[in-house]
Amino acid sequence: MKKVMMGDHAVAIGAKLSRAEVIPAFPITPQTLIIEHIADLINDGEMNAKFLTMESEHSVMSAAAAASAAGARVFTATSSQGLAFMHEMVYATAPLRLPVVMVNANRTLGGPPGIWCEHNDSMGVRDSGWLQVYVEDNQEALDMVIQGYRIAEDKRVMLPIMPCLDGFVLTHTVEPVDIPEQEDVDSFLPSFSPDIMLDPVKPAMIGTFMPAEYIMELRRQTAGAVESAKHVVMEINDEFAKTFDRNYGGLIDIYRMDDAEIALVTTGTVTSTSRAIVDELRNKGKKVGLVKLRFFRPFPIEELRKALAGISAVGVFDRSISYHGGGPTFMEVRSALYGMNITAVNHLAGIGGRDVTEDQIRKMFEITQKAAKGEKVNTINWHNTRGESV
Amino acid sequence: MFELRFHGRGGQGAVMAAQTLAEAAVIEGNYAVAFPFFGAERRGAPVLAFARIDSKKIFSKTQVYVPDCVVVLDDSLLDTIDVVSGIKPEGSVVINSKEEPDEIDLGKELRTGAIDATSVALEILKAPITNTAILGALARVTGIVKIESIEEAVKTRFGERLGARVGERNALAARIAYEKTVIGISKGIKKLETKKQWLPSYQELPVGGALIEGRTEAGLIGPGSFIENKVSGWATFRPVRDKAKCTMCLLCWFYCPEGTIVRISDRGDLMTNYDYCKGCGVCENECPVDAIKMVRGRV
Repeated sequence: MKKVMMGDHAVAIGAKLSRAEVIPAFPITPQTLIIEHIADLINDGEMNAKFLTMESEHSVMSAAAAASAAGARVFTATSSQGLAFMHEMVYATAPLRLPVVMVNANRTLGGPPGIWCEHNDSMGVRDSGWLQVYVEDNQEALDMVIQGYRIAEDKRVMLPIMPCLDGFVLTHTVEPVDIPEQEDVDSFLPSFSPDIMLDPVKPAMIGTFMPAEYIMELRRQTAGAVESAKHVVMEINDEFAKTFDRNYGGLIDIYRMDDAEIALVTTGTVTSTSRAIVDELRNKGKKVGLVKLRFFRPFPIEELRKALAGISAVGVFDRSISYHGGGPTFMEVRSALYGMNITAVNHLAGIGGRDVTEDQIRKMFEITQKAAKGEKVNTINWHNTRGESV
Repeated sequence: MFELRFHGRGGQGAVMAAQTLAEAAVIEGNYAVAFPFFGAERRGAPVLAFARIDSKKIFSKTQVYVPDCVVVLDDSLLDTIDVVSGIKPEGSVVINSKEEPDEIDLGKELRTGAIDATSVALEILKAPITNTAILGALARVTGIVKIESIEEAVKTRFGERLGARVGERNALAARIAYEKTVIGISKGIKKLETKKQWLPSYQELPVGGALIEGRTEAGLIGPGSFIENKVSGWATFRPVRDKAKCTMCLLCWFYCPEGTIVRISDRGDLMTNYDYCKGCGVCENECPVDAIKMVRGRV
C-alpha cells in the first residue's frame, strides 16, 4: 500500500512491521515524531511492544542493551546530543553482540547548538562497532529498519545497527512510501532467537568485567563480525530485493558508472539530488557517475575499489568535518583507494543544515573534473562557505 | 515538475498545507514531496514550506528557489519578506488577503488569486488556521490539483489526526475558499528591500561565535539585540484590558511568556508592550476576573 508520509513515520512503521518488542525512548528533535508515532501505534493497539519512557538517552541505551540481552527485539531512535549522551552505552552494546536497531536522525552536534542536518553526530560513534547505513529517501529508511534486524540478528553478525537518515531533509519530508505487507515482512524476518540470553531458567553472564587476558580476543572477534557483515549485507539485500522488488545495491549503490571518467561518492539525501545532476551532465555528454556509500560500517573497501577502478578522479562528499584532513568519508575513501591512480578531492557541504543546492553539486563535479585533468585544485573544498574560495 | 513555496506563520499550518497538497497530487496518480524549513518553531514566527509535483519520481532534495507558485498564508508577511523572490515570470501567487488581487502590491505583476482565508477559517473552523482554505484557493488558481482531490486529501490527513468531523469541516473550508477566490493581476510597484543579514566570513566571525554588544550594517548584534526583533506582526489577536474589572492581581504579568506586560508602578497601572506581544492569549486565559479580551487585529 502506498502512503504519503514523513521519514519519521516511515521509520516508526518499519519498527512496527519488524515486530519490535521493547522501545526504550527519549525524544529529541528531529527524531521526536518517530517515537511519538510508535507510542500512538502501541496505544491504538496496532503494535504489540513495551514502550519505556526513560529519563535520559544514557538510560535508553542501557535499557536497550539489557532488553536485547534478555532476548527481546529492541528498537529505539535518537539524534545529535542524544546520541552523544548515550555514547558510553553505545560503545558497550556492540562488543557484547546485542543486535539493537537504533535509527539516528542526523543533526548538528553542538556546540554551537543547532537542529539541522549534519553527519557529525553519527560519525562520532563510527568506531563503536555499530554497523551504520545512510539512506536517501523515506522508502529506504523504512526498508532499512526491516533489513537492519535481519543483518543485526544474523548469527554471523550479532551486532547493533544504526540506520541514519538526514534530519528534516528526510525526517520531516513527506513523499510516497510503499508499506510492505505484514505477512511478507514476517516471512522475511523470523523472530529473534539468540543462542545465549539472560534467562532465570538458564542463567548466563553478559557484559561482566573482563581483564586484559581476554579483551584483545574479544576485540578481534568483534572486528571479525563487522567484517563478516559485508557478506551478510549483500545476501540480505538480494533476498529483500527478491521479496519486495526493491534493490538498494547492498554496501554501495552504483549509478551511471559505465565508462565514467570521474565520480562523486555521496551519503544520505545529497545522493538523491546528485542523481538528477548526473543525468543532466550525462545528457551533455560528460562522462560522470555516482557511487552512493550506503554502509559506512562495515566500510566497503573492495566494493569501492571495484566501482571506481578506471576513473581518474573522485570527489567525496562529506556532511561533517573531522577538523583534520577533511571529512571522515573522504579519509576512509582515500585510504580505501590506496595504490590506485585516482586523485581524490573532498567536498564539504551542507554542514549545520545548509541546503546543498544543485549548483553546489555541479560545482563538485566541476572541481573533480579539473582534478582529473591534472589542474591544481584544493584537496579540501568548503562549498558555499563565506571567506573560502572554491 | 511543478514547484511551490509556502509562506506562513507558525500555527497557520503552512507545513500541513504543503503536505496535504502532496497527498492530493498523489491521489491523482502523480509523485509529490513536501517539506518544511523553519527556524526554531514558534507560533507566529515566519515559516517556509516547499512542495514539488511531477508525473515521475522526484529526486531533488533541495529547497525550492524558482517556484512556479507561491502561496502566502498571511499577508502581513508582505511587509517584511519578498515572497515572490525567484518566482517564474509566468508563475502564480495565492494569497490570504481581504484585498482584491489588483490592489495587492507584490513588487511584480503576477497572476494572483486572493481569498480572505482568515475569515473563512474563523467562520468554518472557529480558529485562524488558514491552511485548508488556502488549498482550495490554490486548486482554483493553479489547477495543479482538482478541488475534489484537495477535499479528499484534507479529509484523510486531518481526519486521521483530528477526527472525521474536523476533516469534513476543513474540506468545507477548502471548498468555500475555492468558490470565493478572486483571480487577477497583482501590482508591481513597490521595491521591497530585503532585510539585511549580518553574514561574516569565517575570518570575520568572532572567535567561537562569541558576541559582545555591537552594531553591524544589518542592525544590532550580541546581548540585547533582540530588542530590534519586533513581533507584533505575528499576532492575529491582541489583548485589551478592561481597567475597571482589573484587580491588579498580576497573574497576566506573571504568565506572559514574553514579558510584554509592564508594571508602570507598584500601586498603579499595567501596560502591554504590543511590539513584543505575539497575541498568544495566555493572559486572557489566566485572568481570573475576565478583564482581558483578545481582539482581532493588530495595533
